[in-house]
Amino acid sequence: MNQAVITVTDLTAGYGKPILNHVSFEVREGEIFVILGGSGCGKSTILKHIIGLQPPLSGEIRILGDRIFGGDAAEAQRARRHFGVMYQSGALFGSMTLLENVCVPLESFTALPPDARRLLALMKLEQVGLKEYATFFPAEISGGMRKRAAIARSLALSPQILFLDEPSAGLDPITSAELDRLILRLRDEQRMTVVMVTHELPSIYAVADRCVMLDREAAGMIATGVPSELRDNPPSEKVRAFFNREPERKKTTDEVMK
Amino acid sequence: MLIELPEQCTQGAIENLWRKNRKAVKGLKAADSLSLDADRVQFLDGTGEAFVIALYRASAKQGFAIQCRDAQGVVARTLEQFDPARFAESSPGQFVRKRGTKLLVQLGESAVGLWNDMVDEFAHFGATVVALLRLLFSPHRLRWRDFWLNFERAGMDALPITMLVGFLIGLILAFMSAASLKQFGVEIYVADLICIGLFRELGPIITGIILTGRSGSAFAAELGTMKVNEEIDALTTFGLSPTEFLTLPRVLAATFVMPTLTIFSILSGLVGGAFVLLSMDIPAVAYCQHIAGSLSLNNALFGLGKSMVFGFLIGQVGCTQGLRTGRTADAVGRAATASVVGSLVLITIFDGGFAVLAYFMGF
Ligand SMILES: Nc1ncnc2c1ncn2[C@@H]1O[C@H](COP(=O)(O)OP(=O)(O)OP(=O)(O)O)[C@@H](O)[C@H]1O
Ligand SMILES: [Mg+2]
Repeated sequence: MNQAVITVTDLTAGYGKPILNHVSFEVREGEIFVILGGSGCGKSTILKHIIGLQPPLSGEIRILGDRIFGGDAAEAQRARRHFGVMYQSGALFGSMTLLENVCVPLESFTALPPDARRLLALMKLEQVGLKEYATFFPAEISGGMRKRAAIARSLALSPQILFLDEPSAGLDPITSAELDRLILRLRDEQRMTVVMVTHELPSIYAVADRCVMLDREAAGMIATGVPSELRDNPPSEKVRAFFNREPERKKTTDEVMK
Repeated sequence: MLIELPEQCTQGAIENLWRKNRKAVKGLKAADSLSLDADRVQFLDGTGEAFVIALYRASAKQGFAIQCRDAQGVVARTLEQFDPARFAESSPGQFVRKRGTKLLVQLGESAVGLWNDMVDEFAHFGATVVALLRLLFSPHRLRWRDFWLNFERAGMDALPITMLVGFLIGLILAFMSAASLKQFGVEIYVADLICIGLFRELGPIITGIILTGRSGSAFAAELGTMKVNEEIDALTTFGLSPTEFLTLPRVLAATFVMPTLTIFSILSGLVGGAFVLLSMDIPAVAYCQHIAGSLSLNNALFGLGKSMVFGFLIGQVGCTQGLRTGRTADAVGRAATASVVGSLVLITIFDGGFAVLAYFMGF
């Protein structure tokens, strides 16, 4: 078994008030790990904790052994160098063209000459099918294209770990399938570890090696494992409903009367 | 020439390789050849792929041949994924968005821009006036909660700074004029001077400048951010007019805040003047008498009326600039700047107009 690159131990996540309690899981090297759960259950929140935007209320998170909170500044900086992030809203810089956006991390973290940076950025844009739009500003492209440009930017430094918050939301099925292919290729060819939040069941079956499922009512995790196994042997009613895309079952009048 | 890729082609290793070989590769001619040894490569990351593509791109451009040893197939894989021809840069600036333009073009563009600004400003002004008229018949249409909120933010919260600046202006004005008038032994007329000066000109203008900087720009930034977040579009699709919903409460708040603040700034200015004159041993009673003597209802109404107009202008320009914002963060900054500049220019122009008007009306 591969070594763990991210370990989350008994984490309480939230903004001042806890939203998720007792979350523990680990992500191993070179796997595609999916965080699942209904809207508002805290998927983005847990991602924010892992990438160090929010301090854990309790518990510990280690990225390749380094902590962002709880250690010294050097340790935090080391932990941050390991990963790239695509935010749910894209978070592209509006005053820069797409090419310049992708160049930002290259300028601050590498010593490559300018034409090398440009070529590298263009190749990243090509990977998400946006090379023709290199000179466009984010305000001039569509929502799905912004999302893809954000993915290109998160790939610029070839990080060991890639965090994606709903990468395929707002993409058409074909583009979304291409994105799945890209993610698989990154894992296979570049040994990248990918942690992503997504709701797309087809995409989950296509790419996910393992997943963790969060729930709002339980205020914590309710399942972890291989998606297809969870689908075939769901440990609880909630998990079954999620994988079968059933709406939450309301009690019938008869049941209420009893 | 020989380039040997290391076992682990990670960013740091490729960086060195790239910088070391840059010059030499550039110097290769059509007759030359380059040996690329990728036999040992175990791992090639994105930077490494870019390096390989850069070599093949250079070979296509300069005409030299590449002999590649690729036991692991990483180079082939990279070439399959990225076609070097697609990354050829036909001109150096091909992928750079040109920002600056020719001087003449710039001049023309800014002239057109200025004209469009004015047309837009008038259109929004018209919309506000129409909305105001409609409001006369149905006052419940105003969002009173917004009105009071903005009244508090633009008015009450600005009270300390307005009074401080008013006080200092009164102080300075009294000092400067006292120095000259003292030569004729009529320092007491400083009271008349600052009273008329503050009521007719300085009070409204100083307050106007403060309100512009504090609140006009805030209106522009707030509405501008709403525009960027597509909140304005959402309002429009709900059938709500941004003018009625957003502009009106702010413009009205600014219009009524201005005279209130102006009164406070004038009063503190008079107190500032009193400080100076008392220090020159002029009795407070004489000071008050002169103030009362030179203050006429006309002067007071003229100043307050002017300040209301200024308030309207500040609110109007701030909201218009906010609603006209582009779709990016820096556009919000530019809208705030434009609102301040526009308000100051308009205040000055209108102040001149008022002076001419007062002259002919014999105020
Ligand atoms: N900045 C914040 N401050 C306080 N509470 C927040 C903040 N952001 C989110 N929350 C709360 O945290 C909970 C989880 O939000 P989160 O954004 O993690 O959901 P999510 O699982 O990513 O949902 P979605 O799939 O809709 O993106 C929500 O109940 C929300 O109210
Ligand atoms: Mg989310």
